Amino acid sequence: MASEAVTIGHVAEHAEHAGLPPQIAADVIARELVATTSGASKRFKTIAWTLGLLAIVGIAALVMKWIDQGDDSTRWGYIAALVSFLLSVTGGAPMVAMAPVFAKANWVRPVTRIAAIFSFAGIATIITLIPLVLLLPPLVTEGARRRTIWFEAPNYSPHVWSTLALVLLLLTGIMLFYSAAIPDFAAMRDHSTGWRQRIGKKFARGWVGTDVQWRTLRMRIGMFGTFYFLILVFVNFLITTDFGQSLVPGWRDAIFPMYHTVSSFQGGVAGVVIALWVARRYMHLEKYVHLDAFWSLGRLLFALTLLWIYFFYSSFIVFWYGRSENDIATLELQIKGPMLYAFVAAIVLIWFVPWWILIWNRVRRSVNGMAIGASVILVGLLLDRMRIFVPAWSVPPEQIHEKWLRTIPDTIFPDLFDALITVGMISLAALIIMLMTRVLPAVSVWQVQEFNLIAKPIKYIRGHASLVAKPD
Amino acid sequence: MQQRRTLDQPYTNRVLLNGQLDTPRWWAPAVAILGIAVIIGLLVIGAMINKGLGVTGLGRPVYWGLFITTFVFWVGISHAGIMISAILRLTQAEWRRPVTRAAELLTVFSLLTALVFPLIHAGRPWRIAYWILPYDFARGIYPNIRSPLIMDPVAIGTYLTGSTMFLYVALLPDLGNLRDRTTGWKNSLYTVLALGWRGNPRQWKMQTVGGILLSALMLPIFVSVHSIVSWDFAVVPSVEGWHSTIFAPYFVIGAVHSGVSAVVTMMALMRWLWKWDDFIRPEHFDALARLLIVVATGWLGFTFLELIFALYGQDAPEIALREMQMFQWPWNMLFIIFFLTAYAIPVPLWLFKRVRTNIAMMFWTSILVNVGMWLERFLIIVPGLARRTPFVYTWEAYRPSPVEWTIFVWSFCWVTFLMLLFSRFFPLVPLFEQKESQVFTQDVAIGRAKVPAIVREAD
Amino acid sequence: MSTRSILGLFQQPEPAADAMDGLKQAGFELGSFDVLTGVPYPEGAFGEYVPQHRLFRFPAFGAIIGFTLALFLTSATQIAYPMVTGGKPILSVFAMLIIMYEMTMLSGVIATVIGIIFESRLPNMKPGIYDTRITEGWIGVVVTFDDDSRVAAAESVLNTAGALEIKHAS
Repeated sequence: MASEAVTIGHVAEHAEHAGLPPQIAADVIARELVATTSGASKRFKTIAWTLGLLAIVGIAALVMKWIDQGDDSTRWGYIAALVSFLLSVTGGAPMVAMAPVFAKANWVRPVTRIAAIFSFAGIATIITLIPLVLLLPPLVTEGARRRTIWFEAPNYSPHVWSTLALVLLLLTGIMLFYSAAIPDFAAMRDHSTGWRQRIGKKFARGWVGTDVQWRTLRMRIGMFGTFYFLILVFVNFLITTDFGQSLVPGWRDAIFPMYHTVSSFQGGVAGVVIALWVARRYMHLEKYVHLDAFWSLGRLLFALTLLWIYFFYSSFIVFWYGRSENDIATLELQIKGPMLYAFVAAIVLIWFVPWWILIWNRVRRSVNGMAIGASVILVGLLLDRMRIFVPAWSVPPEQIHEKWLRTIPDTIFPDLFDALITVGMISLAALIIMLMTRVLPAVSVWQVQEFNLIAKPIKYIRGHASLVAKPD
Repeated sequence: MQQRRTLDQPYTNRVLLNGQLDTPRWWAPAVAILGIAVIIGLLVIGAMINKGLGVTGLGRPVYWGLFITTFVFWVGISHAGIMISAILRLTQAEWRRPVTRAAELLTVFSLLTALVFPLIHAGRPWRIAYWILPYDFARGIYPNIRSPLIMDPVAIGTYLTGSTMFLYVALLPDLGNLRDRTTGWKNSLYTVLALGWRGNPRQWKMQTVGGILLSALMLPIFVSVHSIVSWDFAVVPSVEGWHSTIFAPYFVIGAVHSGVSAVVTMMALMRWLWKWDDFIRPEHFDALARLLIVVATGWLGFTFLELIFALYGQDAPEIALREMQMFQWPWNMLFIIFFLTAYAIPVPLWLFKRVRTNIAMMFWTSILVNVGMWLERFLIIVPGLARRTPFVYTWEAYRPSPVEWTIFVWSFCWVTFLMLLFSRFFPLVPLFEQKESQVFTQDVAIGRAKVPAIVREAD
Repeated sequence: MSTRSILGLFQQPEPAADAMDGLKQAGFELGSFDVLTGVPYPEGAFGEYVPQHRLFRFPAFGAIIGFTLALFLTSATQIAYPMVTGGKPILSVFAMLIIMYEMTMLSGVIATVIGIIFESRLPNMKPGIYDTRITEGWIGVVVTFDDDSRVAAAESVLNTAGALEIKHAS
């Protein structure tokens, strides 16, 4: 892409007036961004090794927990919550990158790569899911069919389809990442050396940037983006019903899959904000990851935070008004009962604090403020998943055919295994994301080049503005 | 993508103010015919109030029939305005410009119409005061705020007030324009209404900043309104099919589906009637249809969730209700028509650009959607109640009476009548937005290609 | 006759911006001259004085009032006539929240609209010198004076910039 061809108005001298990143020549962008993939700092290596060790300990703890507690499903609630948390963040993040692309928003360009990389971290979700699949009761238990979404389906349908759906999500995510990464693999081929260059050459698949190649690229991104969204919603639907609702007699909550999806987007954006903050700070990408990206992510995060409370309240008020036996039992199980403290902490951290932080434009326009808001949300999200999934799994399996939950189980506290697995699997996800930034730049080269091509700071009569080609 | 088209300001004024400056020939007969229909409707309403609700098909156990269905329908249509003008404004979608005013107007008039239905449905409308207003200070009796039937008027009142004020504030620059183009009593009217608008930077800044702020404030109200309407039903555990946690977002997305479709219908009519071919263009229909594909598919997803979780509980009465809705005459026929018109016919058609840019096709498909969406509300409200016949020893199904149908038809005439009346005095397309898009649009050369570009203000 | 304000009319934005620059250079104070347009140009397009506003305080103020009123209405009325319905507590916070939410938002919106009108300095039934062609795309540069001595200077700036017409008002 030749940026020299641009002749948009009068290019203003001070691009910061227009809220745009500074204008940089295309070849400089390519060289600088490609250079970020090599020469890892000592700090990077230390963190990577630490995360790696934690991940190994986590996987070992998962195996040991299976050996120790593999016959008692009530002890696996925290692992289910972890699966839900990992699915939310690693599954939600790539969608966050896709949604604004469909809306043709330019601010998203420096964000797309790091968001798409989250797909790979889905491997951690799948590893954590394995013992849960093995523990999930078959559809016919004690001679009777339990309440699920698999009305007349074969006995192990949830086991098979949920796992397959999660694997499909991982593969589609990787394809989405790859389809948007081909021009950057070509950049790696042209501007890097050694194994990176070889990888670039292999995966660029002869990319030279012909008109046809660009058109196919856009079509592919659109196609995989759509698939990804549909599969993500489907996976959320399956995981929430098979690994949540169907384990609790009487819990019938039609909004729950959508609630889970919406908070998954919230967690995804929060994850992306943190990753972007780290990449910007430690990979010195200030020039490419402009404040505008954080500002726009801030607005999105704020909207999603409001949407969270809306979905939560929509469900809560129906149970609260209903007051039938199963309405009361559901509220007791998830809110008032064994996980009350987790619930209060979750609602404070996932909604109240971020709402009050992100409502201020000054915070949304600050890189550090956004990182703090996003971190609070992620902690809140983990607690929210715990208050939902831990009590759901703690229901004794012999009650599965009851009409509603007659006795609310006691609080189950996490044991050492749970703590190690949670830390380990989150470390594994973080490690995968970190390592992927060694293979390809954390900021998409071609997206930044295109951004510079179609958005220019201009002088408009006497004022400063930006001129954006190809508006909606 | 927007197609670049240069339209100078005098031309924009002349064409977009043609409803106010020289009345189209069809206007007076159309208003007269609609006026007669409105009067007939009002007479029927009067007669119903005089005779009592016995003239309707309502009775035990179906107390909520055509009136409440139509109430929900019009509240749904009212979601057009804020969807178009707030969301698209916040996302800076350029193609919103010709549509915003008409959509906001539709919001106001459909809410006004929606409010009529619970009122007349109460049988003795004057007693509504006991129900809503904190009226009886002497005896200390106040409304029961725990009832969703109180939340409803509060939410709709908020939405109506907010939308009306939003509409007025955004009308100020155009009122200034009309003041400059008129003489006599009309000039006096517009002078007062324009409040002394001159178009200095302070006033324009308030239009921009205030517009965004109001959009951001109206958006949460917009979501709450239909959610609260949905809770009229969802909080009731004793009627099958109603007690579902998904109702709030399900109603909201359904409302957006029907509301945006109604905007499409209205845009086509505006283009044909006032000959605004230069302003309401095929690409606007294209953009709206793309939005509708997404909204409709999201709505279908919610419909699926609603259904699957109704069956999920495996409760016999719930399954019986769904069987009745989908497989028993005449509900099954209504269900088929509902599904075909709300989704199965229009959405696949909209996948083709040729359909999306064909205004006649868009007009008819958007009408289909609203036929379907009305039936959806009917199928939610009535069958659940109709199944309760054993409790009241009544074995007759609900059959809306001619009185109900007349009032139903009246509501459409009434909204159209109000719209036409408004169009006589105020422009339906915001002129200043239209001109702004001209000022903010430039062609840029990228290599050899000429690409339309938009100027975005520095933050 | 003492002239209190003059209006220079332009058909293109560039000369109007030249006139604004000229007035600044001629020593006219910011705020004593302004630009009138029929379209919202990007802020600062004419190098004009960018007005400060306090619009964001209005919704906050309105919301606080609305919330307080709603809190009073929902709690005081229920306490005044305590009747249990549907097995709910007399002070049913989750039901009250909905009314409070609506009234907070309503009051916020009303305050914002008042804020927009107030910050636009409207209503102003004597808006001063004006030309109806401004809503047809012309651009007006209006200069206001405390005394007549600088009228000639302002006229000269407007004429140099290429004003097509200059109107006077007292």
